[in-house]
Amino acid sequence: MKKMSLKKLAIAAATAASLSVTAPSYADGMKVAIIAPSASNDLAFTQSIVDAVNTLKDEYKLEVAITDGTFIVDDAAAAIRSYAKEGYDVVIAHGSQYGGSLKEIAPDFPDTAFTWGTSADTFGLPNVSAYEAKSNQGGYVMGAMAGAMTKSNVIGVVGPIEVGDAKLYVDGFVDGAKANNADAQVNVNYIGSFGDVALSAEAGKAHIANGADVMSGTAQMVVGAVGAARSADVAWFGTQANQTKLGKKIVVASQVYKWEVVLRTIFDNAKAGKLGGDQHEITLENGGLVIEFNDKYPLDPAARAAGDAAIAGIIDGSIKLSH
Amino acid sequence: MSTANPVAQADAPPMLEMRGITKRFPGVIANENVTFDVHPGEVHTLLGENGAGKSTLMKILYGLYQPDEGEVFLNGEQVKLQSPSDAIEHRIGMIHQHFMLVPTLTVAENVALGLSSTRGPITDLKHVSQKIKSLSDRYGLQVDPDSYIWQLAVGERQRVEIIKALYRDVQLLVLDEPTAVLTPQEVDDFFVILREMTSDGRGLIFISHKMNEVMELSDRISVLRLGKLVGTTTPQQTTRQDLAQMMVGREVQSIRAERPASSDQIALNIQGLRVGGDRGVDALVDFNLDVRQGEILGVAGVSGNGQRELAEAITGLRPVKNGSIDLAGKAIAGLNPKQVRDAGISFVPEERMRDGAIGEFSVADNIVLHNHSSEQFSRAGFLNFGAIRAHCAKLVEDFKVKTPTIDTPAKNLSGGNIQKFIIARELDSDPDVLIAAQPTRGVDIGAAEYIHSRLLSARNAGTAIMVISEDLDEVMLLADRIAVVCQGRMMGVVDRADASREKLGLMMAGVESTD
Amino acid sequence: MSDILTTTVIVATIASGIRLATPFLLASLGEAIGQRSGVLNLGVDGVMLLGAFCSYYVVLETENIWLGVLTGIATGLIMGLFYAIITVPLRAEQGVSGIGIYLFGLGMSDLLFQKLVGTPLPIDQFEEWPVPVLSEIPIVGEMLFQHTPMVYIAFLLVPVVAFIINRTTFGLSVRAVGESPESADSLGVSVGKVRFATIMAGNSLAGLAGAALAIELGIFQQNLTNAMGFIAIALVYFGAWRAPGVMAGSLLFGMIGAIVLQAKTLGLIPRAWSDIAAMAPAIITILALIIVANRFRQPAALTKPYVRGD
Repeated sequence: MKKMSLKKLAIAAATAASLSVTAPSYADGMKVAIIAPSASNDLAFTQSIVDAVNTLKDEYKLEVAITDGTFIVDDAAAAIRSYAKEGYDVVIAHGSQYGGSLKEIAPDFPDTAFTWGTSADTFGLPNVSAYEAKSNQGGYVMGAMAGAMTKSNVIGVVGPIEVGDAKLYVDGFVDGAKANNADAQVNVNYIGSFGDVALSAEAGKAHIANGADVMSGTAQMVVGAVGAARSADVAWFGTQANQTKLGKKIVVASQVYKWEVVLRTIFDNAKAGKLGGDQHEITLENGGLVIEFNDKYPLDPAARAAGDAAIAGIIDGSIKLSH
Repeated sequence: MSTANPVAQADAPPMLEMRGITKRFPGVIANENVTFDVHPGEVHTLLGENGAGKSTLMKILYGLYQPDEGEVFLNGEQVKLQSPSDAIEHRIGMIHQHFMLVPTLTVAENVALGLSSTRGPITDLKHVSQKIKSLSDRYGLQVDPDSYIWQLAVGERQRVEIIKALYRDVQLLVLDEPTAVLTPQEVDDFFVILREMTSDGRGLIFISHKMNEVMELSDRISVLRLGKLVGTTTPQQTTRQDLAQMMVGREVQSIRAERPASSDQIALNIQGLRVGGDRGVDALVDFNLDVRQGEILGVAGVSGNGQRELAEAITGLRPVKNGSIDLAGKAIAGLNPKQVRDAGISFVPEERMRDGAIGEFSVADNIVLHNHSSEQFSRAGFLNFGAIRAHCAKLVEDFKVKTPTIDTPAKNLSGGNIQKFIIARELDSDPDVLIAAQPTRGVDIGAAEYIHSRLLSARNAGTAIMVISEDLDEVMLLADRIAVVCQGRMMGVVDRADASREKLGLMMAGVESTD
Repeated sequence: MSDILTTTVIVATIASGIRLATPFLLASLGEAIGQRSGVLNLGVDGVMLLGAFCSYYVVLETENIWLGVLTGIATGLIMGLFYAIITVPLRAEQGVSGIGIYLFGLGMSDLLFQKLVGTPLPIDQFEEWPVPVLSEIPIVGEMLFQHTPMVYIAFLLVPVVAFIINRTTFGLSVRAVGESPESADSLGVSVGKVRFATIMAGNSLAGLAGAALAIELGIFQQNLTNAMGFIAIALVYFGAWRAPGVMAGSLLFGMIGAIVLQAKTLGLIPRAWSDIAAMAPAIITILALIIVANRFRQPAALTKPYVRGD
């Protein structure tokens, strides 16, 4: 676009905005809203999307609004609807529990691009896209390293409820551990809650009491289990964000989500007038999933090698994952 | 007979002087320029109908209310009594008409409440119990310090109240209708206790409606009417009739004795009744009683001897373990309260504010409490407010219930007026049998007189009425026959004509009738 | 099966149940004190949250655990002061006021966390204090006497609270005020002062519960308590307003949670049943509550503001 026309469009957009016309106009950036279940800086699920959007902020001239902590689905639905009403161009419903609400709300705002995750379901709606993380890939890598590291041959995993991203990660982790150490026993404990930090801490302690010397876990309540690992000096593998800050001495590595990879596509599509109907995923291959190591952790080179081998194998397709 | 105390001296300086007390509430002047005093060792009675301002005056004395005008002097010194603790500090005690006892605490705990302990922050209930025992011995107040209040009968609860006052060594004690729940013998004993207290130089303020007691106990009598002091007199200078007239402001008539003979037809027949009590022991054992059409059967007895359980068993509020209750030949034992009511039994409960009326509800709502779903007052589940209001207005007028409107919450009415509308409601359904428990307890002369006359006219119209009362005067005034209960057993039934206070008193104490 | 249920597992499970019970016990003891005097405080969870955050923050900044504990108590006292003023002299409806306190604590703890900390950083945690001699006892020592100090404090508070309620003149006043405030008032017991005191005591314990939680876990995050405070209120009813009963309820709740966790860890509960099993503590506690609740009556003046001469 030429400068002249850009300026014209900007004026037109400003006029349109003042007239409350909701027709999408991205010339002078985009308005993006995020609705997420836990805190923006939870070092886990919610932070991953917030960080990604912030990364793209300048590039796409984004105006970002965040409603976090909406662990109550009705609150989230209200927020989704009000952002759509206020004329946000892209509304990101970051939680697999928000699907039902989105399915009801999206048809009322055909000019708004809704995207949600982690899921592959777009409900057949033209303005809903879905994104997910192939978190089983990183899970597999972590599991491979854990299997190589464990001396007790007992590995503990703490999960929330056996659905979505958490299930994917845990399944990958278990497969990776078994593939690298057939003798390893992987105890998986889904505590039944995304929010109960105290219970997650006790689940971690139960694993440790049962001999686990390497642990991992996923979802926002997992900080409790990390705390248990920290007090008992048990190695920890994180996911969804870099969890090194939670335990500098025990966190080995974290699988980090770079949602910007898929958000770029979603934003570009929206600009081009394609508001949804497609699915996106982040993988090790497309750089959406990154394994970040804690430099301070004295990782056994053999375990590191197992991890690197797993990454390479997944990218080149020699390691087939069940999902 | 007068037991007036020689210690009482009108010349001694008053221990209490209330001068020119005025207290206004929105829309009403409860006390208007009232002056009242008490000398050491004297019983000064405060007489007046409900709403005359006695309670307000006493609440001011006890620091519960602040007067708008006027001053209070104790032993010649002006005092400001801003809370009960101020009053307690000045050795003022009060026995409220509604006992101020915590039901879930023991006697000793109730006595110790609010007092400092010999063991600092830790309670010293053993010490308290010992002191209670010595007080009970000295004043003849039999009470087990370890019993819980909820386990005690009304009469026993009152003894606890007295012990509370004695324990605190009060110098000035207000007694708000203390004899309402006692037998004649108990009243005599009680007066001995009170005399014992005045002989120590304590002053007593006695609030009562019972003329014979007032005349017997008082050194001086002050009468309040509509918030104003009508006058102060002594038993020697006045008569019961004069006092009643001062109180009511008009001449008071006593009920005529003539009444048509009652029928022989048995309306309610109780045979071999056994009913459990709250304390594990059976409250009624092998109990037989009948009530005939067109008669008032009085049930006399000391408080807590099974009367309450009898009323509850008949009205379906308490399970029957054994025996039968027949209403005109139809077995009603085991029915629920609504079925009993539908069968033709109405009930005026002993605790009128707990079981008889809902304080927050309007007078009208209370009147239709039991039959709001009847055809008369509702259609297809919707209340017919027009019919309800017309009906209530009529009952309120017929029974002379003093209430600003029928929409006034019941709790704002005096006890007498609440009782009047309860009786109006219960008689309105034209029951075959009316069970009236303590129908005039705590009710002023005017209202009591009126309630008695309504009960008599219902009797004369053929209703079988059981009046359960701990007020022997009331039983002797109303009843055609008098049944006496003691410890859950029927001691015998005597005709009114053959009954004397002495004879009934013996039966109440457990001596079986020789008839 | 017999291999799995080793002594080690049993000991670990019971110790875990005791740890899980601790924050509930602290909070419900506090709530029980308030309710005995006739004051219902639905804001416990909010007080716990703010207490948890403030103590977390102080430990984060000072690395002094005990200063954090004191901060939790102080936070409870300040919130208690608000609640007491609203409900005692101002006689606000207790249910709504309590929910207000809860929402305040929930929102304020999150806001402060975002503004002052941002990313959750771990803090020093309590270390185990094995009780000399007792912790050496085989099995029992490990179960009961190798805990962090907060656990001992919570359980020692049970007889302390019971003693205060049942054996002191203050406790007598508390019971009287909760049952029959007019009787207490007529004997010169200040209903307002007693309720003020119990609210302050109860809230300080709720704040302490929050501190215990945050320092035990070594972390804070939004809604850290996950509605523990509301369960603590239910446990007061379960415990029939008595300290030992409240302790029994907290232990029941904690133990079932620990058993379910341990069984899941050992793979004794099929994955498909996992989420249902997670509800077991709540379900069993509610069932027990129904059975127990019918036998005891709540304080007669509970939730009722006192107005003299009414």
